[in-house]
Amino acid sequence: MTMTADDMTPRGRRLTPADVREVRFARSTILHPGYSDTEVDRFLDRVGEELARLHAEKAELRDRVQALRAQVGDEQPREAPTAHAVSLLAVAQQTADRYVAEAESFSRVMVSEAQQQYEEQLQTAREKVGAMIQAAHEAAARIVADGGGPAPAGDARTAEELQEQVAYLQAFGQACRTQLRAYLEALLADVEQAWGRSDPAAVPVPRSAPRTARPTPAPESPPPVAGPAPAAEPTTVEAAAVLLGEQSLGPGSADDAPRQVSGAGATLDRS
Amino acid sequence: MCATSHDESTGASVDIPAMRANFARAAAAGDEAPLWFYAHLFLTHPETRQLFPVSMAHQRDRLFAALGDVVARVDDLDSLVPILQQLGRDHRKFGTVAEHYPAVGASLLATLEHFDEDWGEALAADWTAAYELVAKVMVEAADEVADQPPWWDAEVVGHERRGIDTAVLRVRPATPLPFRPGESISLETDLRPRLWRYYSPANAPRSDGELEIHVRAWPGGPVSTALVHQVGVGDVLRLGPPVGHLALDPESDRDLLLVAGGTGLAPLKAVVDSVARCDRARRVDLVVGVRREDHLYDRADLARLEQEHPWLTVTVAVSEEQAPGLEHGDVGDVVARTGPWQSREALVAGPPAMVHHTVERLLQCGLPRSRISAEVFAPSRPGPDVDGKVTS
Repeated sequence: MTMTADDMTPRGRRLTPADVREVRFARSTILHPGYSDTEVDRFLDRVGEELARLHAEKAELRDRVQALRAQVGDEQPREAPTAHAVSLLAVAQQTADRYVAEAESFSRVMVSEAQQQYEEQLQTAREKVGAMIQAAHEAAARIVADGGGPAPAGDARTAEELQEQVAYLQAFGQACRTQLRAYLEALLADVEQAWGRSDPAAVPVPRSAPRTARPTPAPESPPPVAGPAPAAEPTTVEAAAVLLGEQSLGPGSADDAPRQVSGAGATLDRS
Repeated sequence: MCATSHDESTGASVDIPAMRANFARAAAAGDEAPLWFYAHLFLTHPETRQLFPVSMAHQRDRLFAALGDVVARVDDLDSLVPILQQLGRDHRKFGTVAEHYPAVGASLLATLEHFDEDWGEALAADWTAAYELVAKVMVEAADEVADQPPWWDAEVVGHERRGIDTAVLRVRPATPLPFRPGESISLETDLRPRLWRYYSPANAPRSDGELEIHVRAWPGGPVSTALVHQVGVGDVLRLGPPVGHLALDPESDRDLLLVAGGTGLAPLKAVVDSVARCDRARRVDLVVGVRREDHLYDRADLARLEQEHPWLTVTVAVSEEQAPGLEHGDVGDVVARTGPWQSREALVAGPPAMVHHTVERLLQCGLPRSRISAEVFAPSRPGPDVDGKVTS
C-alpha cells in the first residue's frame, strides 16, 4: 500500500512538498531494523537537488525584478495629467461632495424636526397627566368633603358597599375623562381661533362646532396662549376641577350619583 | 532636529515673501485650488485616493488652512516644527507612509504653478526645498513613534442607548492604548471610512484596557449617528493616538471643580475616576448641566460614584424646566451661586456656549484663568488644527 521513496519520486519529475510529506521508506531486513539506508540517502539527494534548483530560480527572478524596476524607474517622471482630466475628476468629486452634503443636511433637518416633535409631545403629555392627576386629587378632596369628612378608622364595610363604591369611582373616572377631553378640545379650538385672528389665512374654515361642545364653566378661563407651561397649567386644572362637580356625571345618573355619594358617606358615618 | 540651523541655512537663499505671494494667488482661487490639487494627486497617484473619505469638501478646507498656517510660519521654525511633528505623528493613523510625501509634493507644486502666471524656476526651487523640509520633519516625527502602532483596533464590548440620541459604548483595544484622563482619542468606524472623530474616554486607564465612550448623535453627523444607531457589540473600531487637551495639573493637590455639559461629562468622569485611583485626598465637585432632566444620560453611574466616594459631590443643573430635587438654571449660573470656588482648580467641558459662559462666570467668581482648563465639545470634531485645538 505504502509507496516507497523510489516509487513516488521518479527521476526527472520535480519534487513537490507533498512528496516530502508523504514519503514512506521501506524497512530493512530483520537483521537491520530501521529504514533502508539506500532509500533514505537517495531521497535526501533529491531534496538537496530540488533546493539548489529553487535557490537558483529565486536568484534569477530577483535579478529580473531589479531589471524591471530599473526600467520603470527610467521612464519616470510619470506623465502629467492633462488639464482636461484634472477638471473632469474635479467636477466628479464636487458632484459626489454635493450629494453627500445634501444627504447629511436632509438627515439633519429630519432628525432635528423629529426630536423637536418628540420633545413637544412629551411636554404636552406631561402637562396633561399633571393636570389630570391634580384634578383627580381635587375631586377626591371634594367628594370627601361632600361626604362629611374622611372616614373614621376601623370601619367595617361590607363587600356590597365596597363594590358600590368601586362602581361609582369607575363611573366617576369615566366622566372625568370625557369632561377633560371636551375641555381640552375646547381649549384647542380657542388656540386655533386666537391664531386665526392673528393670521386668518392659516385657518382653512371657521370652526364653530367645538365651541358649542365647550362646557359652560370654561368661558371664564382665558384661552391659554403659547408660553411657559406652568402659567397655563393652573387655569386648566382649576377649570377641570370646576367641571368635575357632581352634576357633571354621566347621562341619567346626574341625580343618582350624588345620592350614591351621600349614601356611601352616610354608610361610613353610621358605622 | 535643530530649528535654528535650518533658519540660517535656508534664510539666505529662500525668498519667503515671493512664496507667500505665490501661495496667496492660489488661495485666492478659493475651493478651485485644493480641488485641482486633489484631482492632480489622484490622477498621478491613484493609490492615494483610498487615504481620503468619500466627500472631500472638509478635507479641501483643512488642507489649505493647514498650508496657510505653514506658509505663515515658515520663517518661525521654532513654532512650526512642533506643529509639523504633531501632524506627522497624527498622519500615521490615516495610513500615510513616507512614499506618499513626494507624490503630495509634486501635486502641490503643480497646483501652485497652475494658479500663478508668474511661476518661475526660482519659486519652484524654493517650494521644493520648503516642501522637502516639511516632509522631512513630518516623516522623522512619524518614525520616532514607529514603535507604537499607527492605530489600535478596538472591539465594542458594550453598547447602551441612553435616551433617543445618546449612547455609552465600552470598547476594548486589542493592544494597550496608553492615555491620560481628560485626553481625547480619535476614532473611525468601517461604516464611515476615513472619517475620524475625537471622543474622550470617560474612565482612567484600566488594567483590561477598556474605554468608556459617550456619544451623542448630532443630527446629520455621519460618524456620531452611526456610533449611536448602527454600531453594536462585536464591531471593531479603529482608535488613534490620544491627544491631550483637558489636563489635570499633576503637581497640584488643589480641590477640583468640574463643570460638564452634554457629553463633556466624559473627560470629567475620567478625572473623577483618576482621583479615585490616586491616594492623595482632594475634594471634587462635579456640576452637570442639562437642558432637561431626561437629558441626564448617566444618572445612575453618577449616583453610584457619589455614593462610593465621600469626597465627591454631584450637582445637576437643569436649565429649561423645573426638576424636583435638582438645581434650576444655566450651569454657569448654578456654579456661580454655589461657590466659593476661588481655591479650586476648575475643568470645564461641554458645548461652546456653555463653556464660554461658565468660564466667564468662574472668572467673575475670582478664579484665576491659569487654574481653569476648558474644552469645547462641538459637533464633528475632525481633529486638531495646527494649534492643537481638537475641535473644529
